[in-house]
Amino acid sequence: MDYDFNGKRIFLDDMLERKKLEIFLNIQGIKLDKNLDYTVGIYKANELIATGSFFKNTLRCLAVKSEYQGMGALNTVVSNLMNEQYKRGFTHIFLYTKCNYIRLFNDLGFYEVARVEDLLEFMENKSNDITNYSLELAKTSIKAGRVASIVINANPFTLGHQHLIEEASNENDVVHVFVVSEEASVIPFSVRYELVRRGTTHLKNIVLHKTGDYIISNATFPSYFIKDEENVVVVHAKLDLEVYKKYIVPALGITSRYVGEEPYCSVTKKYNEVMKGSLEKDGIICKTIPRLSINGKAISASSVRQYIREDKVKEIKGLVPETTYDYFISKEAEGIIKKIKNSKNRH
Amino acid sequence: MKIIKSSMVGTLESSDIQIRVEQRDELGIKIQLKSSVEKQFGKQIRKVIIETLESLGIDSCLVIAIDKGALDCTIKARVQCAAYRAVGDAEKINWEVIN
Repeated sequence: MDYDFNGKRIFLDDMLERKKLEIFLNIQGIKLDKNLDYTVGIYKANELIATGSFFKNTLRCLAVKSEYQGMGALNTVVSNLMNEQYKRGFTHIFLYTKCNYIRLFNDLGFYEVARVEDLLEFMENKSNDITNYSLELAKTSIKAGRVASIVINANPFTLGHQHLIEEASNENDVVHVFVVSEEASVIPFSVRYELVRRGTTHLKNIVLHKTGDYIISNATFPSYFIKDEENVVVVHAKLDLEVYKKYIVPALGITSRYVGEEPYCSVTKKYNEVMKGSLEKDGIICKTIPRLSINGKAISASSVRQYIREDKVKEIKGLVPETTYDYFISKEAEGIIKKIKNSKNRH
Repeated sequence: MKIIKSSMVGTLESSDIQIRVEQRDELGIKIQLKSSVEKQFGKQIRKVIIETLESLGIDSCLVIAIDKGALDCTIKARVQCAAYRAVGDAEKINWEVIN
């Protein structure tokens, strides 16, 4: 048997190449992920026999044609992807896979972070790195009876977020606030984090964190091997909560999690439902706080962005804390306002 | 030489070894080895990695090695290259220690 495999980059902007790849993946039972930065194809003569892609620091859509499995084609794919990742400056690399392939990736130097039943395995390329993350986190732990946690994206920080944090702050000894650090939103993390910080300085029992690499948003969650859309939300929520319960809760001694009620978005609603069930099973209180309303309308970050998009920055005054408002009327915000205006995306 | 960034060299193909070198705060060389021939050659692989790094004057780093049955000369070459990439600046490389 001839083992001469050639790796070649596949450009997904080329519709013909894209179509070919889609057909190839469909035969292997997976879909082409909607977020991909780089794709490689492994060819034998001119036949595509294996492929792999990545988005930011997560490897995706890896597949080997069934006749060629067990010949090391996956090693070629992963080697190629890892090299490209390092070139781009990503050294902490993740992947998601079906549970029956765990051993395969173990041999390639990937280790388990968390698992969702028999559906999904989340792996990273360093053994025990998440334990280190957990230990780092534990350094900020404050021993107290009632320790609450909140995870927010704050895109941007509104009175609604502030209200949620204030409620938690009143009812608990310590509140750990995690700001999603993944860059999947129009407003960059540094700004979102800073606005949360400025907007919570009046509360004394708050500890701010960034979520780091282990919590990813729904927008970039790879769903290519999960059959129906509904399931994607559930699996994503379960994975998030596995990581949360396994590493974050024990590190900080968390006793409750606060979330804002979700009146609009069905995806978030479903996520919150799964979360409530999963947390309560493990004895963590999950408290849903009704959204803060102004003039009968619940405040949401998306409506704030909508006003900004329509060039009505003045209108957001009643919806956001003064600190956020001050930021958006300052010169500093010009670039971001421009970006919000140009984005049609929900996020 | 001092390791100042992460680097990666090599592939996961048969007879090769993928070496990743990373900064480490404490002194000493720490090796995380995964090898298809760990039982037979684990000791020897670690020895070659440590000797190669020491000959380059590196006393502190983390090495993550995924071995697929590489020969000693391959391991040595991969480790040297990974170390040089992780030093960051070509000026700092002492070429004379290579033999």
